[in-house]
Order: sequence, then structure tokens, then C-alpha cells
Amino acid sequence: CPNGAVNCQISTSDLFDRAVKLSHYIHSLSSEMFNEFDEQYAQGRGFIMKSIDTCHTSSLNTPEDKEQAQQIHHDDLLNLVLRVLRSWNDPLGHIVTEVQGIREAPDTILWKAVEIEEQTKRLLEGMEKIVGRFHPGDLGNEVYSLWSGPPEKQITDENSRLYAFYHLLHCLRRDSHKIDNYLKLLKCTLMHGSNC
Amino acid sequence: LLINTDLMDGESPPGKPDNIKCRSPEKETFSCWWEPGSDGGLPTNYSLLYKTEGKNSYSECPDYKTSGPNSCYFDKKHTSIWTMYTIIVNATNELGTTTSDPQFVDVAYIVELRPPLNVTLSIIDDPPHLLVKWSPPSKADVKSGWVTVEYEVRFKSKKAQEWETLDAGKQRQLRVFSLNPSENYIVQVRCKSDHGFWSMWSPESYIQIPDNFPRKDMTLWIS
Repeated sequence: CPNGAVNCQISTSDLFDRAVKLSHYIHSLSSEMFNEFDEQYAQGRGFIMKSIDTCHTSSLNTPEDKEQAQQIHHDDLLNLVLRVLRSWNDPLGHIVTEVQGIREAPDTILWKAVEIEEQTKRLLEGMEKIVGRFHPGDLGNEVYSLWSGPPEKQITDENSRLYAFYHLLHCLRRDSHKIDNYLKLLKCTLMHGSNC
Repeated sequence: LLINTDLMDGESPPGKPDNIKCRSPEKETFSCWWEPGSDGGLPTNYSLLYKTEGKNSYSECPDYKTSGPNSCYFDKKHTSIWTMYTIIVNATNELGTTTSDPQFVDVAYIVELRPPLNVTLSIIDDPPHLLVKWSPPSKADVKSGWVTVEYEVRFKSKKAQEWETLDAGKQRQLRVFSLNPSENYIVQVRCKSDHGFWSMWSPESYIQIPDNFPRKDMTLWIS
């Protein structure tokens, strides 16, 4: 609040605008980080063909296309976004640590990893505010630890380590795109009556 | 010494289909196109096979017609976003089958909208400027927020070589002030969905700038 102002609450619409800007930014960074890593380490190793493992968030059953995203009640979609964001807390921390251990990882990847972790925390705070506006006092605060943790420490095989990291970045890119897309849809539904 | 008798006859198995390119105009359907390679001098059939994440077996392209020659169209029923598709093309003639390299596609990253529609140009007198307006591209569901669109406008005098490009953001109109009087201008608009590729430019629109239009290089006085 500016000094002395009373009732300076930001409008829900402004909160949504900020959330969408953040989610857009986070996905752009995730996508760039994935591409950089892919170019530098994954080419020629056939990672993309191996990448059949599911992401740790797949049990959340997020909508898979426009129809599904529109059918699900907006409260449920908002809560799903919260859950996906929360379930990335630990893996994002792991990504930051892991980048530092990769030989010759360029600074730009590290910088992006740190930035994504920070901005995702901000986005989560913002989303909690938004959900709180719709349902005051009903803010689920469960900690979702869907992630089974980093691969065994004793994996010394460089290739397996790189693949595990590649897979995590791939999931981050996908989930950040989902969140961005859901938020843009929610913003139009809730703030503009589906007439954007 | 190995002698390929097929080659001596001028007939051989087909060449490798190449450059599989996939695009979605609205994040709800998509199409893939490929370059056929040589036919080995024989009638050659092409088939596109695809496999989605988690599936073990390939399915055949559901529709070879809608998107033209050497293409496959995936309608809504066959399109999922946030799923990796593995796509291969087989070329077959009576001497054998040649398979393309696999192409990996997630619909989220191949979005290329149609160009914006209904580009209209009008001269506004006070202050003198050109007003460019347009509508969102066909197909894309902009209203629901499933697709968000950004626009770019380019213009040049018919005499000029270089285009000038302006970023219009999410707006569906743009005011252009820096134009030369008495010249004929070409204007085009293109669009891009968030995280997608730029569309083609819209068809050229033309406008004659009136003689009394202030010159482009006039000094701007800010009081």
C-alpha cells in the first residue's frame, strides 16, 4: 500500500494480468533453457526418443485440450494450477543445484534456472491471492510432493545423469506451457466473460 | 564387386522422404507435409505413420486429402496438445520401402496462425495519420483465451526498398504517422500466437497518402 492509503487492494483483474505476464515469462525462459540444453548436450544421444517416461505431475490429470480445459469448472482449474506450481517447488531447487554440477554448463542456463525458480515462487504467491479472492479462507495448503526426488546420487554415468536432467527440463517446459495456457483461458473466462 | 542391376535399369527403391514439417493453425488440429524424394522410376505410394507418447504401436494418417499433396491432416479427434507425436513417412514401390527420419512434434510448439483478416486503411485528418485496422485470423479461438495473438504491421512506399515494421502488441489497430505525402503505400499485417511462429503476411493493401500530409522528416516539437 502507498503510504497512508486505506483499501488499496489491487483489482482481481490486475492480479490476473500480472499472473499471465509472469507465466508467459516463465514459459519463455523454460523453453529457452530446454533448447539451449538440448542443443548443447542432447543432440546425437537420442534423448528425445528415449523420453517416454511420464512427468512427475502427470497424476494431476490436467486438461489435455481446449474442450477439456473449458469443461472443467474454473475453481478446479485454478486449484490445478496451484497444485502444478507447488509440485515444482522441489524439482526447481534441484535443477538449480544440478546445473552447477554439469560440466561446462553455460552461465545462461544457470541464470535461467535461478530466475525460473524465483519467478515461479512469485507466481504461486499471486495465484494464492487470486484463489483467495474467489474463496476467502478456503486456500488448500497441502504440500504436493509428487516428485520422487533426484535420481540416485550414485548415478555416476554421465549419460544417465544428463538424460534425467533433460527429462526434467522437458517436463518443466511442458508444464509451464500448460500453466500459461490455462491462466490465459481463465483470465478470459473470469475477467472478460469469454469475450477476449 | 557388387552391381546394382536395378540402377542399371533406371529403377530403384524410392528415395527417402524428407523435411517433415508440421503446423497447427489454432492449437486444436494440425497438418504435416513432407518432400517425397525420388520415386525410383516406379509408381510410389506414401504413407504417414504416427505414434503418440506412451503408445507402442504406430497408426496410419487419418486424412491424406484435406491439406493437399504429400500431407496428413489431424482433426480435433486425432489431436492432443502437450503430447509428443513421433511421425515417420514410408515411401513404397515394388522394389522396396524407404522410411524417413522420425520427426518429433508437440502441438504446443508448432502453432502458426493464419494471417490477420480484413485489413482496412483510412486516412485520419486531425492529427494527420494513417489508421490500420484488422481482425483476428480465422480458425483461432481468440475469444476464449485458448489462443492469444500478437500483431506486427509493415509498410513501405511503393518507391521504397525497405519495409518499416511496427509492433502492434495485442491491439487490432495501429496509427502510423511517419508517411510521405503524395506517395502510394503498401501495408501488410501478420500475427503470432503466444510462443508460436509468425503467420504469413496478409495480402497487400494499398493507400494513396494525400498531398497535404505533413512530411515524414518533420521535426517533432514537444512542449
